Amino acid sequence: MKSIKFWFVAMSLALVAGSSVAAPADAPEQIVRSVSRDVLEIIRKNDKDSARVRDQVDARVAPLANYNRMTALAVGRHWRNATPEQQQALVREFRQMLVRTYLSALTIYKNARVDVKGSRGGNSSDELDVRTEVFLPGQKPIPLDFSFEKTSAGWKVYDIAVDGISFINNHRNQFNAIVQKEGIDGLIKNLSGRNAAARGNKVASKR
Amino acid sequence: MRRLIACLFALALAGCATPSNNYDPLESINRPLYTLNKGIDKVALRPLAQTWTTVTPEPVQKGVHNFFENIYDLFAIPAAALQGKFEDAGNGLGRVLLNTTVGLAGLFDVATELEIPKSDEDFGQTLGYWGVPSGPYLMLPGLGPKTVRDSVDSAIYFAAGPTTYLNPESARYVFIGVNAMDKRAQLLPFDKTLAEQYDEYAFVRDTYLQRRWFKVHDGNPPYPLPMGNDDPDGKDPAPAAPKKEQGSQPVKPADPAKPSVKARAEQP
Repeated sequence: MKSIKFWFVAMSLALVAGSSVAAPADAPEQIVRSVSRDVLEIIRKNDKDSARVRDQVDARVAPLANYNRMTALAVGRHWRNATPEQQQALVREFRQMLVRTYLSALTIYKNARVDVKGSRGGNSSDELDVRTEVFLPGQKPIPLDFSFEKTSAGWKVYDIAVDGISFINNHRNQFNAIVQKEGIDGLIKNLSGRNAAARGNKVASKR
Repeated sequence: MRRLIACLFALALAGCATPSNNYDPLESINRPLYTLNKGIDKVALRPLAQTWTTVTPEPVQKGVHNFFENIYDLFAIPAAALQGKFEDAGNGLGRVLLNTTVGLAGLFDVATELEIPKSDEDFGQTLGYWGVPSGPYLMLPGLGPKTVRDSVDSAIYFAAGPTTYLNPESARYVFIGVNAMDKRAQLLPFDKTLAEQYDEYAFVRDTYLQRRWFKVHDGNPPYPLPMGNDDPDGKDPAPAAPKKEQGSQPVKPADPAKPSVKARAEQP
């Protein structure tokens, strides 16, 4: 259970890994190195302002993350039954949820260090898992793995696993349950509802 | 009695009919137990842990945490040795010796300061290492998520652990209570994440199983745990890169086209 805490890091860094001005030719390991360096720097510079960290990190990682595929895998078999409009809405809301939940919690990792341990090939030469460890002072290192796939626009992250807990797998079961009960529109509504509620809270608490 | 049997039968059928996770045939029993555990947590454990973390100075919290970790380190020694991981076992021995003496009965984690690595082993992993399957997922009242195999670890801890040496009995309860409180305090930061979930029970279960699968394979599992909530016809939902979900390594023994067979053969 302890590992869940690193979900935050994981997701954020993962999303982060999705970004960067990196040329498409960059290898996944280099991408992870440069993005984690940048993200940790953003966190250190803005460690009092989690909203700012969230926005800056989001901007940094967005180009490197394949949110489409991430969402498709999280939705699972129902993805194919969704209309293009529904798919678009799912990607939008899912992404917003990720950013809201994980990137806002990054400030606690201002003293973290990320070491790349190596990579492991997937089923094809178009897939690669980059394995890293996150070090926080006085704690056991946390394994954090990024799954990359090669697209026409370069390597993109489509899954992150913290301590072996895959982000996609963990959402799939729950999404599945919602879709079975309420359909794809129900899932969209569920996600957007929670996103909207969180926005409302934030505005309310600021005032 | 007859009614009980009928109930169990119905449960078994229900479990088989809609397995939302291959490792959770007892879901219909586990779910109510999860609700029970949630209730205990809400009225007792969580408030206790919250008070503990707000009222007690941090060095005290840390000392108490170190104390319990030192005992887990002790149990990790045989758990590592029985897997032939003698370097880990040796490190564990060094840690316990140092922390118990210089670290004043484990209150100070001197070994970590000296960079003696802590190994993450337990008897559940030892059994898994030797190929013992995990068995069904269990939600144990008061203990939380486990599998049949991994509850061996708790059993050994209670049978041989410090609780057996504590007298009078009240000391035993204090020990168990403070241990639980310390564990819960470590989890407080995740309460928010948990509350965000649509299905908390499924979230806890899937997280637990995947993490155990990862640990048994020392952080390098041959393929993702086939929990059964992925695409049932074995096709990738996203056509971009076919064949992602199933196994990422050649070691994979089973045929990915038969998820149900796999599920029984492979255990977290």
